[in-house]
Amino acid sequence: MMENNEKKYWKGLEELHATPEFVKLNRNEFAEELPIDELLTESKVNTPTPRRDFLKALGFGMGAVALAACNEAPVQKAIPYLIKPEEIVPGIPNYYTSNYNGLGVLVKTREGRPIKIEGNPNDPISNGGTDAQAQAAVLDLYDTARLKNPVVKGVDSNWDAADKLVKASLAEITAKGGNIRILTNTILSPSTKSVITDFSSKYPNVKQVIFDATSYSGIINANKNSFEKAGIPSYKFDKAAVVVSFDADFLGTWISPVEFTKQYVSLRNHKSLEHKKMSRHIQIETGLSMTGTNADARIAIKPSQHGSAVIALYNELATLAGAAKVTATELPFAKKLTAIAKELWAAKESSLVISGSNDVSVQVVINAINAILGNYGSTIDLDNLSNQYQGNDAEMQDLLAEMNAGKVDALFILGANPAYSFAQASAFTNAMAKVKLKVSFADRANETAASCDVIAPNTHFLESWDDVSARTGVYSVVQPTIAPVYNSRPAAQSLLMWADLPSDYLAYIKAYWEKNIYPSVANAGTFTNFWEASLQTGSVIINQQVAKSYAFNKDINAVANTIRNANKNTSAVELAIYQNTAIRNGEHANNPWLQEMPDPVSKVTWDNYAAINPIFAKELGLTENSMVTIKSANNTVTLPVLMQPGQAMGTVSAAIGYGRTAAGKAGSNVGVNMYPFLSTVNGTFQNYNSSIELVKAEGTYELAQTQTHHTIEGRDIIKEKTLAAYAGHEPAAEGEHHASGEHAESKGEHHADLWAAYQKNGHHHWAMTIDLNACTGCGACVVACSSENNVPVVGRDEVRRRREMHWIRIDRYYTFEDNAGKEITREKEYNQVENYENVKVIHQPMLCQHCDHAPCESVCPVLATMHSSEGLNQMAYNRCIGTRYCANNCPYKVRRFNWFNYWNDDRFANYLHNEAAYLALNPDVTTRFRGVMEKCSFCAQRIQAGKLKAKIEHRPLKDGDVVTACQQGCPANAIVFGDVNDPNSEVAKLIKGDRTYFVLEEINVQPGIGYMTKVRNTIES
Amino acid sequence: MSSHSESIIREPLITGKAISYSQITEDICAPVERMPSKAWWIGFSIAVAGLLLWLVAVSYTFWNGIGAWGLNKTVGWAWDITNFVWWVGIGHAGTLISAILLLFRQNWRNSINRSAEAMTIFAVICAASFIVAHMGRAWLFHWALPLPNQYGSLWVNFNSPLVWDVFAISTYFSVSLIFWYTGLLPDIATIRDRAQGLRRRIYSILSFGWNGSVKTWQRFETVSLILAGVSTPLVLSVHTIVSFDFATSVIPGWHTTIFPPYFVAGAIFSGFAMVLTLLIIARKVLGFENYITMAHIESMNKIIILTGSIVGVAYGTEFFIAWYSGVEYEQYAFINRATGPYWWAYWSMITCNVISPQLFWFKKIRTSITATWILSIFVNIGMWFERFVIIVTSLHRDYLPSSWAMFYPTWVDVSIFIGSLGLFFTLFLLFLRVLPAIAMAEVKLLLKGSSEQSKLKLIEHGHAALPEGYNGSIEVENAKN
Repeated sequence: MMENNEKKYWKGLEELHATPEFVKLNRNEFAEELPIDELLTESKVNTPTPRRDFLKALGFGMGAVALAACNEAPVQKAIPYLIKPEEIVPGIPNYYTSNYNGLGVLVKTREGRPIKIEGNPNDPISNGGTDAQAQAAVLDLYDTARLKNPVVKGVDSNWDAADKLVKASLAEITAKGGNIRILTNTILSPSTKSVITDFSSKYPNVKQVIFDATSYSGIINANKNSFEKAGIPSYKFDKAAVVVSFDADFLGTWISPVEFTKQYVSLRNHKSLEHKKMSRHIQIETGLSMTGTNADARIAIKPSQHGSAVIALYNELATLAGAAKVTATELPFAKKLTAIAKELWAAKESSLVISGSNDVSVQVVINAINAILGNYGSTIDLDNLSNQYQGNDAEMQDLLAEMNAGKVDALFILGANPAYSFAQASAFTNAMAKVKLKVSFADRANETAASCDVIAPNTHFLESWDDVSARTGVYSVVQPTIAPVYNSRPAAQSLLMWADLPSDYLAYIKAYWEKNIYPSVANAGTFTNFWEASLQTGSVIINQQVAKSYAFNKDINAVANTIRNANKNTSAVELAIYQNTAIRNGEHANNPWLQEMPDPVSKVTWDNYAAINPIFAKELGLTENSMVTIKSANNTVTLPVLMQPGQAMGTVSAAIGYGRTAAGKAGSNVGVNMYPFLSTVNGTFQNYNSSIELVKAEGTYELAQTQTHHTIEGRDIIKEKTLAAYAGHEPAAEGEHHASGEHAESKGEHHADLWAAYQKNGHHHWAMTIDLNACTGCGACVVACSSENNVPVVGRDEVRRRREMHWIRIDRYYTFEDNAGKEITREKEYNQVENYENVKVIHQPMLCQHCDHAPCESVCPVLATMHSSEGLNQMAYNRCIGTRYCANNCPYKVRRFNWFNYWNDDRFANYLHNEAAYLALNPDVTTRFRGVMEKCSFCAQRIQAGKLKAKIEHRPLKDGDVVTACQQGCPANAIVFGDVNDPNSEVAKLIKGDRTYFVLEEINVQPGIGYMTKVRNTIES
Repeated sequence: MSSHSESIIREPLITGKAISYSQITEDICAPVERMPSKAWWIGFSIAVAGLLLWLVAVSYTFWNGIGAWGLNKTVGWAWDITNFVWWVGIGHAGTLISAILLLFRQNWRNSINRSAEAMTIFAVICAASFIVAHMGRAWLFHWALPLPNQYGSLWVNFNSPLVWDVFAISTYFSVSLIFWYTGLLPDIATIRDRAQGLRRRIYSILSFGWNGSVKTWQRFETVSLILAGVSTPLVLSVHTIVSFDFATSVIPGWHTTIFPPYFVAGAIFSGFAMVLTLLIIARKVLGFENYITMAHIESMNKIIILTGSIVGVAYGTEFFIAWYSGVEYEQYAFINRATGPYWWAYWSMITCNVISPQLFWFKKIRTSITATWILSIFVNIGMWFERFVIIVTSLHRDYLPSSWAMFYPTWVDVSIFIGSLGLFFTLFLLFLRVLPAIAMAEVKLLLKGSSEQSKLKLIEHGHAALPEGYNGSIEVENAKN
């Protein structure tokens, strides 16, 4: 450092001697008075030499005018930190652990505003993975449809008024001994549950009713019946060598898909295949679910056959086990079930049979099957129950009856939206009129909240303290990452205030943790230490039990009878109702990222539809773009038709989660509400309806699909083998294994180049591998990429015009078989397909391949796209003049053009072009203007951040410093990114693996993404 | 040039009774000097309506973005580049006629070269408008030019065929313009000499002081020859380079070495068709039947048969090579052209470009004005479809079936195309009003009194007979008088 310089230079002797005159003059800005007044007098103007004075005045005048003009400019919104918070450095993100709906996450904030959600690798549920919903949750925070203030009697109000009204009403109700009901969806927060308990003890006759739009009452009740354990067990797919799933979409929507995906993939990905081992997965279902697309074998069944199939499988296993069989219905696919039973029996204690049915009887038989197979204690853990779904269908029915009887005086609704998602929604809405006080904690005036007296908006999970326990003994804290964006308040705080309890919810949570969790943790130090450690790691695990084995010793004959009776009378066409991976139960329907995320199977965005087998559709006289009317006893809806291979004949599938009427600008009136079609069997809500009528409707409707051609046309772009062939050490790809660019050169192959090779700096060469065996097609990467890279949402019409902007897409291809078992992959051979129920599916994530011989680069007239010295194919948006030549010349069609000014065009205001949604933008990535091409950058901003971090820490970049958004979001770890110049990096090893191939390498574009051959563990028979 | 004796069986290039130098001047200057006819006004009104539509549609595109068109993530070029290539192709006849036919001393070209060159210039203007309009940020089109700039040493990408295109089209336009204008100088001087007042002053300036001296004529001839020499390679190079836009890509159906000759033949094919379409109307309306005769029409029809057949062979070769290459993507691209969703475009192209010109093998058809005009329209349509087929059907189904998509034009796509026709015809009709549509000076070279007299002498002395069916205007009786 430079030494403090004491030297001083004097302006003149006056300053040195500090003459009083000087001191006086020096106080003024201008040491000598400007003779302005004098100047302006006439005499002065007329003097012969006013030139110097004139220039002085002129200079002052100009300066003054300029300064005055500066003052006029209003100070906009950029207000710098007056006192900078210690932990916030502009430009450097902060990460906070939190928990979204049971998934442990890390929230990335920039300058105090959350912009991205990642999985928390320390969390036992998410294990660092996320799903599309978690990725999209950050946008919900900035949703303009959220209430800006509490609403009292339908008008914008304030908290005082709301509190006053609620407390007064409660006092009245208490005085007359009235009933109070708290209707919630599943609450994962133990503190909130405790608050509800406290509230209940303050007021008499309070009861909590838990209602989930998608109910798991069947499993909970079945476990109570079978084993006296009311709850959902923890499943261990990572220990299941054979998985048989009856209609349970466990990779997409069933209970805990992120957790299950991690487990499931661990037995099927490259690490498992290195040992030539792979689990076998059999899916038995009605519609083709995302899970079904990943199965090694799949049987299409009608919903009414579900129970019979489970019984038949039980009988097969009972035979093998030497136990008694039960009466069963004849099934057309009985032979296949025999084979499946053999598979399961061979994998005793390491198999898993699950069912997506919400029928208690079916779940009891499933329990019996798993008990025969000895799966309790190995793949099913009944001693550490999941809390993810706690809904009780019977209590919900009771509540409706109570309300109708006028026995409910106050109804608090937290999380649930029965006026939309309850099968008897209209009955519920009518019954609400009989309740005196209705209070909703909804964040928007949704279908239910609209008819409430008070809406006390709950905070978003990114704005408030909370805690979560998704599984018994697993706890995480939800941390606020921003002050509430709108005038909202945590629901728990509201309840505490209305119960006249101390309303500091954070203090409440801490007290709860200190009392209930802290004592069970060994060596935690003081509570403060423990609390801070919990915030840092994100989760605490206590009191885990050893999973025990359970035997089934209940009467199964009666159960089987119940199942048979329930499915006796069925209509010609049966309706299966499912959740899709993006919209799920419809709670987040107003999230444009989710609406525009293509369905993993159908690739449809912005709509639900009636999925019908193409052959069945032909029988019904339906074609593409037809509409059908579905009628049940009380409901009629009209839906567009989607030709869905894999759909069981005689069935139609439609998704719930659509047809919201009060979700917000983006999500309202998208699709049709299918909740009213849920049937009730044996007291629980069923996701099918076997007494419907299906008729062709007038008119046509074009669904917005991102992919309209569904087969690979016999092309070599997908490589797959059976496990038997792969384990037999055949080379993975047909013919010689080629490698791109550099790898090939090392083998002595010579490529002729027309252009000079790009300059390499020799340090890094970025590349990626994608394991087609791990990718389930879930689409988390699509949303993760949109969030990271500010990818615009364009809406249904633009998707119909095939203009979606996603930088990463998941191509999904079908393969059919003709009667002789020959594979059909070509459009012109479709007429040979006699059975569309048999379909093989593959998902192939497709993004910019960062070709070393990029065809896009050579054709750009203005050098707007060129190669970096580290192997990246870069876009200079500012230089692009928009000829689109690069996109035309891209063999992978991954370049996206800004057809409109998506960030400044009011036609797109419902999606991301609004002031609130702008807050979710990543400041490290620019938004693109219209007329400019864009595409995957391999997250260039993350590469840069990784390099800077290594530089600051004075160390070379190491593998894992740079993680792309798609890679980080992927719950299956299918994507590996890194530097192939680092021989120890994972990607360098995988890219040389025996399964790795490069898509379209034959045109010598030298792509930088290696795909790993799909391996199917098919049943040889 | 004109001091040779013509064969007796060669028909005279200019017909008409009492044809003389002054008659030529009168005939050709008439449309410029008289008030516009009703037919002209009707044509002009329609053309200006088209031009206005063009302005509306182009402005709409600039205001909203290229999304106003029917393009998508898979099909990044469709009507825009189809129209561009179509217009550039149309321009080719002008250069061929003015340059190559001049070098080959095909004197019959003298009657049609002026209009054909004008057509070239207007067609290239239309083509250039599509280059600019198709850019996402058209206001930055100058970035495609190698201009000095402040962005460091930021240059254009000399590897990009689009940059070659910019050079090719701009060179083509400037050379054609100079060639055309040089040819106009003596004719402008003629109009100047006949005009009065302001008209005279304007034409005086435009004539660059032409004084008709021998030296002037000598220089004029030299410059014409030099420019013809400069233009000749352009006839081949411009469309070769346009074809490189496709040929240098990796897209099946584009990546083809046959493209340069195939595109050049197609361009000449469409250029002559457009010349016929225009001149058959113009000769009637402007009364130029004696200058643009059946002989011209027939000659051009023969060129159409030749180039049409070349194009037909090229289509066949593409299919053969696709099959022979054994590349499945290539094979699919061509099967898809003929049998895929755009089969109708392909078969329209084959019908119009390959089948219909073969009718010109019949003399009756190629000497029928009505049939020629209808077939010339067919060829224009066919050549538009050729470009559409190459661009859209190749793009809409390329390598990865997941991205396959259809292209549907919007009203803006259609309007810009129709509007560009409006722009073209507006310019052409204005040209007919202000400049002589036939090169007077050059046509006058074709009046060869000595040659005609010697022909007649031969006939008179019985050394030769009048060609059969000869009903031309040089009548023996008249000549005797």
